[in-house]
Amino acid sequence: MTQQTLVTTTPGQVPVRRRRPFARGGGEDRPNRAATTALVVCSVAVFLPLYATLSMAFKTTAQAVDGRVFALPSPLSIEGFVEAWRLTNFPRGFAISVFVTVVTVVGTVALSALAAYAIARNWDHKLFRWSFFYLLAAMFLPFPVLALSQVKLTGMVGLANPVGVALLHIMFQLSFSVLLFTAFIRSLPEELEESARLDGASTWGVFRRVVFPMMAPMSATVAIFAFLASWNDFMMPSLITADSTLQTLPVLQSVFQSQFSSNYNVAFASYLMAMAPAILVYLFTQRWVMAGVTQGAIK
Amino acid sequence: MDARRPLGSLDLTRRGFLRGVGAVGATAALASCARPAGARTTEIVFFQSKPEVIGYFDDLIQRFHEAQSRVRVRHDATSNLAGSFVRETPPDLGLLNYNFEISRYVERGALSDLGDMPEAARIRPDLLPLVEVTATYPGRTSVIPYSLMAAAVLYNRTIFAEHGLTPPTTWDEFLAVCDTLQAAGVTPVYSTFRDPWTIAQGHFDYAVGGMLDTTEFFTDLKAQGDDVGPDSPVAFQQQFREPVERMQQIVAYTNPDAASRGYGDGNLAFASGAAAMYLQGPWALTEIAKTNPDLDVGAFPLPVTDDPADRKVRVNVDLSLWIPEGSTKKEAAREFLSFLMQPEVIDTYNADNLGFGVTTDAPPVTHPTLVELREYYDRAAFYLGASQLVPQSIPLQNYAQSLASGADPLPVLRTLDADWARLAFRS
Repeated sequence: MTQQTLVTTTPGQVPVRRRRPFARGGGEDRPNRAATTALVVCSVAVFLPLYATLSMAFKTTAQAVDGRVFALPSPLSIEGFVEAWRLTNFPRGFAISVFVTVVTVVGTVALSALAAYAIARNWDHKLFRWSFFYLLAAMFLPFPVLALSQVKLTGMVGLANPVGVALLHIMFQLSFSVLLFTAFIRSLPEELEESARLDGASTWGVFRRVVFPMMAPMSATVAIFAFLASWNDFMMPSLITADSTLQTLPVLQSVFQSQFSSNYNVAFASYLMAMAPAILVYLFTQRWVMAGVTQGAIK
Repeated sequence: MDARRPLGSLDLTRRGFLRGVGAVGATAALASCARPAGARTTEIVFFQSKPEVIGYFDDLIQRFHEAQSRVRVRHDATSNLAGSFVRETPPDLGLLNYNFEISRYVERGALSDLGDMPEAARIRPDLLPLVEVTATYPGRTSVIPYSLMAAAVLYNRTIFAEHGLTPPTTWDEFLAVCDTLQAAGVTPVYSTFRDPWTIAQGHFDYAVGGMLDTTEFFTDLKAQGDDVGPDSPVAFQQQFREPVERMQQIVAYTNPDAASRGYGDGNLAFASGAAAMYLQGPWALTEIAKTNPDLDVGAFPLPVTDDPADRKVRVNVDLSLWIPEGSTKKEAAREFLSFLMQPEVIDTYNADNLGFGVTTDAPPVTHPTLVELREYYDRAAFYLGASQLVPQSIPLQNYAQSLASGADPLPVLRTLDADWARLAFRS
């Protein structure tokens, strides 16, 4: 028995077995048609809407309503951008949106990393274990259910403004982010922390110098999720913010959509201006996002 | 060292973040300081969210500021109305579409009484039943109508002239016009069944309102309570059956691809002369003009009976003014309300935005299309669309859509009756 097992695992045999399926498939350099088709369909699904947005944004109003979405803009016009800039008071709306998003991203990463570290390393304590379940439970509470009470409460404590929106965004991101971080921390070797302690690091020192840096890929993932949720949110800022001059971009853009009129060129110009940061952030951070997602998945 | 590098870079970005947060916070703080803080100025919030006239009202506010210095107006177009009422900080003055959203505030007494204002007395008395059938609060004039829209069948005057047709005055004439056009290879009516609201406000409302007195029907229906069914004197399955059957007759004359066409497609098609008639209100005129500003469009009320004197136009209170009870600056809000109600302000608004004047001193409408509807409005031959009088928790638009795609009227109307009875029972 032992000899047989030894034979099957000799280095000479393993590659032969692996090669067979490739040979049957007709050689290694033959293109995989099914996969290519699937990839083409996927890319088209992403690029067509993007192209439509781009070309609509540069059309004149008359051309925007002619029903030919994919036609190239002729003449090229920036009246949509000018109008969108004026109607949404773009610089102010953009600044408010950036403020809310930045506070949300920083707050979510900081709070959930701390919470996850405390929970993952104290899993044996009932208090920490149950606080994890408590945080997770919030995932099952959608905002619309809590909307009216949140509107009332934020109004009472003077948080009917972007700060309140950011705080609520952090709160709603917390459960999912803690889940991601906790799973990730469990995959980190505890020996590293022990050696840091031997070198005299405090708990905070261990977290700041060892654990948090090692969590960078997961922090990027959490940050991206928080960014997308906060940047694109419509309902919460719309309900919570009392002063319309402090409103975020998605809410300001709702003026372009109405039952009786369609200003596609203005709307798309405005969407393009609002979308640009999200696309840019993704382009620069997708490496970490993918790394973070796969690492979290393996765990 | 390797483990430290990301730490260092993260630290930097975090500092950068904080700096950014500080900068934005300071901007916000400065912005709030920039508001005028005089002891004698009152700042009111004016809520108006019709997108196409936001710029128009900004100019009006500018003029108001130049005329006096006691009241400052902040224009709010994006806030969530329900949220502001829940927070107990409602806008001080609202100018909104008078529909079921506002009716909730009216019925619960959230809007203050404007009956003592001289502006309320200038409203045409024959409009009051329209306001009251939507919502009332005992002893109060909760809203002051500002603009009224009259909707009818839009028709392409050039196509009509080419075939020697004139606007029909009876149901039979209407069918004859449709037959003539169809025989000549012209699509008589352009329909956009993909957007359910276009059926509800057009085909459905025109057919029902052309046959019934909707105000009377809904007043009786409400008086009946939850006893609505096959045996009650007033029920959808009784009074609405015939109009709905006529509506289905119109469907036979629409473009064959109506099921996959939306409002935008309809405007484009009508503007490019693809059909002779289009069942839409004046709001579509602006959209049609985007494609073809020179189209010669006329309007006539859809005749649904055989008596030409029965023809009526569908109206809705497009905008109405109101001041919430919860406002702490009612006096200042009333001052701006009076400014908006000045004849030259309100009349200019209505002339510019295809509205009909609601005051007794308003000049007659002069728009080349709407002028055809003037006589009906002047002699109060109008009705509120039935679809506007059914609460939104009943999916009437979808029912209208299934009727347009050929559903048997009776089961649909029975469902409508059952929905109405359930709703009446609950409230």
